Amino acid sequence: MTGRIIRFPQPAVLAGEAPASARRILETPMAERAARAEELRIEEPEVLLELAGTLRDRLESAPVLVRDEMEWLYHFVRVPERPIGLFDEREYFLGEFALIAGTACRHLSRRDESRLWFDRAEAGFRHTLNPVADLSRLSYQRLALRIEERQLDVLLELTPSLVQSFRKLGMPEDALKARFLEGLALMETAKLDEAVDVFAEIAREAERLGAAKLLGSAYANLTHIHGMRGDAARAIEASRQAIPVLRRLDDRIALAKVQWGLAVLLRETGQTAASVEAYRAAQADFGQIGMRADVAALNLVIADLLIELGQDGAALQSVLEALPVIQELQMVPEGMAALQLLQESLREQRIDRPALRELHGFFQDLQ
Amino acid sequence: MARIFPVRDDEAREAFERLQGVLRATLVHHYLLSEEEAAGAEEDLLVWFLRLARRGSGPQMPAKSMRLALLSATCQYGRSMQLWKLAGKRCADEKLSRTLSRDPEEMAVDLDAGLGKDLE
Repeated sequence: MTGRIIRFPQPAVLAGEAPASARRILETPMAERAARAEELRIEEPEVLLELAGTLRDRLESAPVLVRDEMEWLYHFVRVPERPIGLFDEREYFLGEFALIAGTACRHLSRRDESRLWFDRAEAGFRHTLNPVADLSRLSYQRLALRIEERQLDVLLELTPSLVQSFRKLGMPEDALKARFLEGLALMETAKLDEAVDVFAEIAREAERLGAAKLLGSAYANLTHIHGMRGDAARAIEASRQAIPVLRRLDDRIALAKVQWGLAVLLRETGQTAASVEAYRAAQADFGQIGMRADVAALNLVIADLLIELGQDGAALQSVLEALPVIQELQMVPEGMAALQLLQESLREQRIDRPALRELHGFFQDLQ
Repeated sequence: MARIFPVRDDEAREAFERLQGVLRATLVHHYLLSEEEAAGAEEDLLVWFLRLARRGSGPQMPAKSMRLALLSATCQYGRSMQLWKLAGKRCADEKLSRTLSRDPEEMAVDLDAGLGKDLE
């Protein structure tokens, strides 16, 4: 008795072959994949690792596709229970696919679904060897979800501890990423000077670490903050720093947010018509990647500006487009009263502007 | 689909090789596997370890965490293999019996604590 592990009859997929296998899987319709699993080598850990990496990289350019692919992969690995990889690899893949799916759902404002995926991720990671780094990445996503739910007190309380955890683990990029949450919370509470300091520090550190994604996102946020202050020179300079990096990374979410920041700048400097066009450009970018919540939020901002321009009919139309999405995605649980006032006014073919402003106030500073 | 992998293959392979003596000693002396069984285990452990370095948190995971994970996997492997060989029978070797009764992760922490600074 040697006790050697019996090898899988097919030779294992090597790391160098994994990208081609992953491509073939993604090109195969989901309905056909399970039946062709052996031929497509879906159970191979090298291929699953490649799929996780490839799709993680596309979170900011194709969140809908990433969510759907991750859902398929998660269920493929989970049921029936497949003997995937060595040691803890099956549990790792369950955790990683769920984490990526949950992150995609967060980008798409599908918060309940996001929470479910994060619970699944935790269930997977718990059974891996030395899970602390993966569980910390999960904690970051859970905290990021809270910013969208405007639980800023919770965020400000827990973010420093998460930053410290990443530092202790020797994960400087993740520590820096967690500091974004601090910056966003400061933006949300209108502490703009402090927010600028945080994002400027993140940008410096990201440059030092060679973390391009964080660098681009930091400048995207700086564009927005300087836009909110009506500081044209700084906003434009920040956008110039952000755009080339984000284009290279195809980070379409952050690019749309830069556009949003420039729209804010135009609004703050009294260029209302140009601001509407810039908001619409940002809206089109969000629409292309399936970010319906952001499209709806911008519809409200645009409606407000259209009223200012005397285009009440177009404003009404813009609000009418937004409300079903806002209700469906339960985007403003804290703004229900304003939402109802707005709905009532629409029945009379007019817009209750204070209610509209209260509602879009929940979105306009949130990036 | 072009993607830049945060490749740490060489680094991970080097870390594995540095620990290989400890892994072999753990499998042979603590878990009483044969040299042949231990060599087979090491092949699987290397494949797994190279993939561990490419996981979501892998590119940034510090060397100490990687090493601890490798030691845990080694202990888990040794324990599972011995339990399988015993096939439910009582273990006659008292030292092995004590080793098998321990949690592999706990065992790994002890092994890690005993490593010299040169493996840091």
